[in-house]
Amino acid sequence: MTLAILEHTGLNIQTPEHPPMGGACGDEGTLHPGETPSPVIHTENLNLWFGEAHILQNICMAIKRNRVTALIGPSGCGKSTLLRCFNRMNDLIDHTKITGEVRYDQENIYAPATDVVLLRKKIGMVFQKPNPFPKTVYENVAYGPRVHGIREKRELDRIVEKSLKDAALWEEVRDRLYQSAMGLSGGQQQRLCIARTLAVGPDVILMDEPCSALDPIATAKIENLIEGLKQRYTVVIVTHNMQQAARVSDDTGFMYLGKLVEFGPTKQIFEHPEEVLTENYITGRFG
Amino acid sequence: MRMAISGIQTRMATPALRRIREQVIASVWFICAIFAIIAVCFILGYLLLNGYPTFLQINLWDFLFGQQWNPTGSSPEYGIFPLIIGTLLVMAGAMAIAVPLGIASAIFMSELAGPRLRTVIKPAIELLAGIPSVVYGFFGLVVLTNWIRISFDIPTGETWLAGSVLLAIMALPTIISVSEDAINAVPREYKEGSLATGATGWQTISRVIIPSALSGITAAVILGIGRAIGETMAVLMVTGNAAVIPHPIWNIVSPIRTLTATLGIETGEVPIGSLHYHALFGIAVILLLITLAINLSATIILGRIRSAQTGGAVKKQRLADETRVKIRHLLSYCLIGMVLLLVAIAAGILPCLILLIGGAAAALIWKRISPKMMQKIAYTLLFAAVGTVIVVLAILLIDIIVKGLPVLSWEFISGYPSNLGREGGIFPAIIGTIYLVVGAILIALPLGIGATIYLSEYTREGWVTKTIRTGVDLLNGTPSIVFGLFGFAFLVIFIGFGVSLLTGWIVLALMILPTIIRTSEEALKSIPHAMREGSLALGASKWQTIRKVVLPAAVPGIITGTILSIGRAAGETAPIMFTAVVFTSRFLPDSIFEPVMALPYYLYILSTSVPGAQQNAYGTALVLLITVTLFYGAAVLIRIRYQKSSRW
Repeated sequence: MTLAILEHTGLNIQTPEHPPMGGACGDEGTLHPGETPSPVIHTENLNLWFGEAHILQNICMAIKRNRVTALIGPSGCGKSTLLRCFNRMNDLIDHTKITGEVRYDQENIYAPATDVVLLRKKIGMVFQKPNPFPKTVYENVAYGPRVHGIREKRELDRIVEKSLKDAALWEEVRDRLYQSAMGLSGGQQQRLCIARTLAVGPDVILMDEPCSALDPIATAKIENLIEGLKQRYTVVIVTHNMQQAARVSDDTGFMYLGKLVEFGPTKQIFEHPEEVLTENYITGRFG
Repeated sequence: MRMAISGIQTRMATPALRRIREQVIASVWFICAIFAIIAVCFILGYLLLNGYPTFLQINLWDFLFGQQWNPTGSSPEYGIFPLIIGTLLVMAGAMAIAVPLGIASAIFMSELAGPRLRTVIKPAIELLAGIPSVVYGFFGLVVLTNWIRISFDIPTGETWLAGSVLLAIMALPTIISVSEDAINAVPREYKEGSLATGATGWQTISRVIIPSALSGITAAVILGIGRAIGETMAVLMVTGNAAVIPHPIWNIVSPIRTLTATLGIETGEVPIGSLHYHALFGIAVILLLITLAINLSATIILGRIRSAQTGGAVKKQRLADETRVKIRHLLSYCLIGMVLLLVAIAAGILPCLILLIGGAAAALIWKRISPKMMQKIAYTLLFAAVGTVIVVLAILLIDIIVKGLPVLSWEFISGYPSNLGREGGIFPAIIGTIYLVVGAILIALPLGIGATIYLSEYTREGWVTKTIRTGVDLLNGTPSIVFGLFGFAFLVIFIGFGVSLLTGWIVLALMILPTIIRTSEEALKSIPHAMREGSLALGASKWQTIRKVVLPAAVPGIITGTILSIGRAAGETAPIMFTAVVFTSRFLPDSIFEPVMALPYYLYILSTSVPGAQQNAYGTALVLLITVTLFYGAAVLIRIRYQKSSRW
């Protein structure tokens, strides 16, 4: 018997021969040739079902390198699900069906040949609730490098220190590296999770409402951090806080009921939205 | 104070009345909880009291380390050293088989198996837990010992190996289901966090999930050891029961005798009040002390892991990280050296060299294996482990079904035994077993749930809960044969209930009480605190919250605990064989002061003492299996229904 059944994911990947109903990608969100900077992640007619529920409908968007892209929209509009498509985290959920393409560096990540492990190394993720492992601070950050084969203590030390510094946490934890990470405050835990993500050396960092469980001061720290991160990384952040989107992002996508209603530079979305729906949401008329 | 919503207010009892009601309810639960403690203290005290006279006549040292156990010889000798060694060896052998298989199966079921596969395997494992030990013993006696006899070419297959294999099979369900629960309880976020850093599935399992579930897995192994060490019937039936120390010590095909088997064999035939009688109590005390030591070490390990995980206690590292790594290396080299030395002594230099070179090569290759390859190897091994478990279960079931089915008939089910059970039916035994189980559950379930509610809802963690929990753990670790000995000496003879249904109920209820408490407590603990707060915030009283919110949500867990208890109660032979049952009877009991027939004991006597009754023995085994399966099936169905209706 093959080992195939062991790698059960419950995922049913289909590459459609015909574009699904509702038309192909329109102009908005797609990349115009010659435009800079170049896209890192590119979705084309992405559809996703959980069982019968059609969660994502014909999503077309291009996420550009070294920018912060925010996804906003009311609860349940599918923004977190979309984010989790980018590193195939939805694979973990049973009865998921996906059509369309998500391209990372021009490769369709839902192609059968994709190495999910490598993909997730390249596209890191920070979750809504801080989720440090029940290990020491040091072990949390060193976890990623270790699983990717780094064994030398000195090298690990270097990575841990650098990642913690990049996550603006080093000063606070340098004396307690060998204590349990569960003893840190919520904001510290979240920055630890960011450090853990950075330690792997990702290209893109996905953040799923990273501040929703944090107080304003911790939130401000994370927002500052995001600002700094975009020098070297591409950041995609899901948030239900519009001020946050306006503060930290360069591009914003507004989602509603599983559709990407509008996608463009943050300034434009917030000041001159093209769609009435977007304007209504941003001005607080619903949502 | 008057409230605006008078309609609601009028329906509420007055504050004073409510307070009294709450207090009464709380004290009821407290009494339930304290009962466990009293029971433990009483059993312990009674055993000590009866064991004590032994040491007036035999020096403790001679008792523990005497090489001969021969209480019925012309010059009786009471040295239990061979029995202690026998117990430890059988247990160690069983764990060597069961721990890897059990943990691997648990990982497979919770992490790798798809939902459909899981719904097939989980009940199968639960069924494995439900198979009574006497059925295992019977299977071991007629099948396993035969295989061992033929494949090792020895005169009899009743050996240490047979005992260990059987015990391993019996400890497996405990280890699997408890470990699986522990693994499932690891927050999903850990798994996602690990996968998001690009770790492979196996890396996630081995570096995050297993370490996080370690306390639960440790508990699982300890519980498994507890089950193995306290087991009487299966071991008694297949180990040959010669009170000798194997020679050489690793001779796994040597016959062996355990402490429990000694109690099982000799309790019924000993003259009351003789030195031999007191010596048996001495054995029971030693047995209790061993289980106590195991439980205590488990509690300490668990406590340490827990405090390390929560990070509450700020502990300074005594050694620098690098020193610790060095020490660990040194220790592992020492261990390798010792193993090599042992091999060299046992088998000569050549195998030792081969082992050394092979090991070095393996270590070299190990470091170069890519994570993916590692994952494939690991998953293959897990798959093989689960396969082994399933195959063993299949062999056992098929053997009993194929050979038992021809015996089954209406006459067999509804008839009365004749010709020492070689002919006739087993109707009184079926009824007797049902009487015993139902009575024991009716006693133990309210008590157990009451104690649980007190432990998890009404107290803060403190010395009270600690004492009660220790008591429960102690009761849980107590081997079933000790309950049998206690019931026999205290209830049957001292109180004068005689060998009766009532005595059986009490003994069985005492025995299953800890299982019910432990599992129910887990169920209550797993309910999010927010649910309780939600209810309390609406002005519900504590008891209302428990009754309407906490208990309904905990029902599936409590039922699981009850399932395990029923399985134990229905299949146990050791505690009832001196307290409640007779081999054959032509009548059903008229009152609770009469003895009954019971399936497990009937099977035990048929297979060990009645030559030529193998056919009926197979039939009885099958009926026992079916009875237990029916109990289980009903409970599993109830659980599934509840799971569907209350999800959060």
